[in-house]
Amino acid sequence: MADAVEDAGSVSEPMDLVRLLLDEVVCVKLRGDRELKGRLHAYDSHCNLVLGEVEETIYVVDDEDTEEDDLKTISRKSEMLFVRGDSVVLISPFTRS
Amino acid sequence: MEHLSINDQPPPPPFPQGPGQPGPGMPPPGLLGGGRPPQPQQLPAQMFTTAAQLLDLTDKKLMVALRDGRKLTGILRSWDQFANLVLQQTKERIFVPPGTQSPTQTRGLYADVDRGLFVVRGENVLLMGEIDLDRDDDPPPGYDPADLELVQTLAKQKKAEEKAKEKRKIKKLSTIGFEGENVGEALL
Amino acid sequence: MNARHFSSVVQHILTSSSFFKTLIDHEVTVELKNDIQIRGVLKSVDQFLNIKLDNIQVVEELKYPHLSAVKNVFIRGSVVRYVHLPQESVDIQLLEDATRREAANQATKAKQG
Repeated sequence: MADAVEDAGSVSEPMDLVRLLLDEVVCVKLRGDRELKGRLHAYDSHCNLVLGEVEETIYVVDDEDTEEDDLKTISRKSEMLFVRGDSVVLISPFTRS
Repeated sequence: MEHLSINDQPPPPPFPQGPGQPGPGMPPPGLLGGGRPPQPQQLPAQMFTTAAQLLDLTDKKLMVALRDGRKLTGILRSWDQFANLVLQQTKERIFVPPGTQSPTQTRGLYADVDRGLFVVRGENVLLMGEIDLDRDDDPPPGYDPADLELVQTLAKQKKAEEKAKEKRKIKKLSTIGFEGENVGEALL
Repeated sequence: MNARHFSSVVQHILTSSSFFKTLIDHEVTVELKNDIQIRGVLKSVDQFLNIKLDNIQVVEELKYPHLSAVKNVFIRGSVVRYVHLPQESVDIQLLEDATRREAANQATKAKQG
């Protein structure tokens, strides 16, 4: 246990980086053409996540058979969201760009 | 042993069982679980196994939704920890949403097909729910029963349309770095 | 494998399901990978994150007529995309602490293992 506390700041495995993102705003890319932005409150080794104040962006193709089926996005908000890890593609720190 | 918290669990018993709730075919409490110390949780651990969740549904009339979009109803006679199921008196219900036949079709249609005895592999189960027998005979709101052949034809047509749409979508979204959730699999 | 190691393995598998146990009897909305959203009272969760909901209500009922006569559902964990939770039912501090502790556990285990 003491070792673990000493190690708390080190990054040696991918999930250690996720630990440093706890309580920070993160961007998560998901399968199914979705992205999330929200504050990371919890994660586990399966990449199951709990995010707060979440904004979800869904990418859809407008299917009203126009010539150029246009790319559109749908935005949704959720105050608290559990995300199942098998949908997660990547997690990154949110940087205002 | 460190102190228990939200993270810490006593190891679960191998089978759902505990005082007062011996399942059918399981030994009475005391034979297996007698030596176990009392658990620090308020909620009994046997609530939290797959077996316990499915036990309540045994011998009930269920609606089972499969991954390929099929909707079955039947009586759950047997199951295991993978949610493999045995359904008796299975019926498949085919739905056609409003607007399929013509843009002016305001109500959906459905029809039932008798399927008999089914063993369903757990992997293919999306969800299953207990049917409220009081509401079972009422058509779903917005839907009317219709001729099976008509419903089958329309459902086929609908499926083909969705498939084409999905294909277009995957193609379009792949240009911005997305890949469909279940490529090659028709959900819904 | 000694007993303590075993219990830490079990505990690791169960982390997310323990989180859900704190939400039992709260109203949640489960969103599946086929986009269907089902609101209901969380009744139980197991180690695969299979979920049982009571008094269910489908968000777009006309699109999903097959659940109209259904009162409670068992949802296979593997088909879940999200669970929308009421903010007030989550103790954020507790959750983050538990996550840090679990991360430390994992690190210890990796060292020993």
